[in-house]
Amino acid sequence: LIGTVLLMGKSGSGKTSMRSIIFANYIARDTRRLGATIDVEHSHVRFLGNLVLNLWDCGGQDTFMENYFTSQRDNIFRNVEVLIYVFDVESRELEKDMHYYQSCLEAILQNSPDAKVFCLVHKMDLVQEDQRDLIFKEREEDLRRLSRPLACTCFRTSIWDETLYKAWSSIVYQLIPNVQQLETNLRNFAQIIEADEVLLFERATFLVISHYQCKEQRDAHRFEKISNIIKQFKLSCSKLAASFQSMEVRNSNFAAFIDVFTSNTYVMVIMSDPSIPSAATLINIRNARKHFEKLERVDGPKHSLHMRMR
Amino acid sequence: MGMSRIECIFFSEFHPTLGPKITYQVPEEYISRELFDTVQVYIITKPELQNKLITVTAMGKKLIGCPVCIEHKKYSRNALLFNLGLVCDARTKTCALEPIVKKLSGYLTTLELESGFISNEESKQKLLPIMSTLLEELNATGASTLPIDESNTINLKLIEQRRDPLIVQEYDVPVFTHCKDHFIKSQWDLTTQQILAYIDGFRHIQKISAEADVELNLVRIAVQNLLYYGVVTLVSIFQVMKPSDIWNVSATSPNKVTRLFGETVVRSGAGLCLTPHPACVSGQKRACLRDVFQLYCGLTPGTTVRDLCSRYSQQLQRVDERRLIQYGLMKSLIRRLQKYPVKVLRDERSRPPRLYTGCHSYDEICCKTGMSYKELDERLENDPNIIVCWK
Repeated sequence: LIGTVLLMGKSGSGKTSMRSIIFANYIARDTRRLGATIDVEHSHVRFLGNLVLNLWDCGGQDTFMENYFTSQRDNIFRNVEVLIYVFDVESRELEKDMHYYQSCLEAILQNSPDAKVFCLVHKMDLVQEDQRDLIFKEREEDLRRLSRPLACTCFRTSIWDETLYKAWSSIVYQLIPNVQQLETNLRNFAQIIEADEVLLFERATFLVISHYQCKEQRDAHRFEKISNIIKQFKLSCSKLAASFQSMEVRNSNFAAFIDVFTSNTYVMVIMSDPSIPSAATLINIRNARKHFEKLERVDGPKHSLHMRMR
Repeated sequence: MGMSRIECIFFSEFHPTLGPKITYQVPEEYISRELFDTVQVYIITKPELQNKLITVTAMGKKLIGCPVCIEHKKYSRNALLFNLGLVCDARTKTCALEPIVKKLSGYLTTLELESGFISNEESKQKLLPIMSTLLEELNATGASTLPIDESNTINLKLIEQRRDPLIVQEYDVPVFTHCKDHFIKSQWDLTTQQILAYIDGFRHIQKISAEADVELNLVRIAVQNLLYYGVVTLVSIFQVMKPSDIWNVSATSPNKVTRLFGETVVRSGAGLCLTPHPACVSGQKRACLRDVFQLYCGLTPGTTVRDLCSRYSQQLQRVDERRLIQYGLMKSLIRRLQKYPVKVLRDERSRPPRLYTGCHSYDEICCKTGMSYKELDERLENDPNIIVCWK
């Protein structure tokens, strides 16, 4: 089950910035000083401890793109597990963008027909807020149509808000091998301790890899918002040579506990029952750790997943 | 002259949306689209290869360049990437061109940092005529001096690579390959100046050191330097020519001797030509060439000087045998057989021989120990454990 994750898109669309934020601890502002990617940048990212994502970030200048479809075609498009294609929402060359996208799909169909395709409509922060949903819907329709017979999942993203985390969480979620089992165990845990919600984050990236909720909540985007906020906070701590360990947030309506969980994850537990003391919840979390560690270890060695971002 | 010929000079850049491309090349269209696609990753490179000299060979061509990266937020994508390189045929030896490429990249970097020469579209166009001139001048003369603007001039020169010289030993004898007077003494370093007078084709290094009062090692280095530039060549010690000396005409020489005389007819008076042959005793020019020729041919394997003298006594009246031998050595016409003593039987208890190993000649041993030939000969002849090889 060794595949690759290709990260592709026109030059300057934001590919390297995104991967730097998610996997290399950049904050959005830092990405301003990044240079152009020359040809393909390969990076091996450790995810969930024993997963290795083989990320291929492909420079989007014309000369490189032409090469990917011709002399480098086999090398690039064979054995792809996931294709992430990035569109700059502000692009003035829509036809050219689509042309390159379709060339990619063609090559994928020929070489890795089972690959999952994700389209990110990026730099949405540059679009007026009240226009965003509309524009995204339009793009999504176009892309779905153009991608047939392949199916594509579309996200709207920006490095300046939580939408980046939503997209990448969803993408990575597809690649975690034992995610169903993880979710089942999380559900059991949550129900035992009577939590309203439990989130499981990957330790380095803070992407949500699993969650449980006992009822619907108002803000559907709260997961990625939490990822974003906590990651920023974690980075701020490390800049002061302190390492973030845990946090408890309370008000009259709920208590939230964020803590290190297994060696590869963080957990967030939301309790809305005020009668349950913090100590109880914390003990429960501590006791659950061992169980989840075991889960991770058991599944570990078998699942080395390689993501190539091209 | 054996200079490497430059077929093309190109200027390549990274364009923010187009990617790596060739902005200028002279002559036009020399580098095909296919060639550039093949090698572009070594022309406009990833950060790890930047600012290094890179030579890549493909499709019968050699491209030598130095990819430059200047980082600054004023540039689109935060950096300016370019490469001014040379193209040669794949078989060309290109070592001499490498410093040129490096220097050019330095010039352009400076120009860009000082005045934005490359990032400014207008001034960048000046590159084309500059590259044109460079190509012409470097190929024609191996050097180029080009003013770029009021404050910058490009100075380039192709330095030919020479082979490393042999190590000069104390018993080697340096002799000038050209007339000594042709050299302007003041252009040489002080050590060389001091020993120049003592280089006469007869004094060996150790003697020069003693007489010129210059430390032995310095003399060796100075002579090695002269050797590198082809100003002198080395011959072996020529003490008083002894009757028992064996001079062997070297195996390749019959052709050389013939060729030499052929040359004489065509060229006269230049360098070490035979007219007049340095071995000729002055005043007897006409008989000289034939005598010299006969004498050289007379040096057959195993012939000692004594034999030579008795066979060619007449010719030797008109010829200075010292200069004859010296000239023959310099031109590799003849070769001296040296004596190498080897200790074959020895006591288990005694120390291993230091000099009598068969690797050290009489010349060397005499030089190192201060003995004379005669002394050494006597000593060795009386020792039954030592045999002497000629080689």
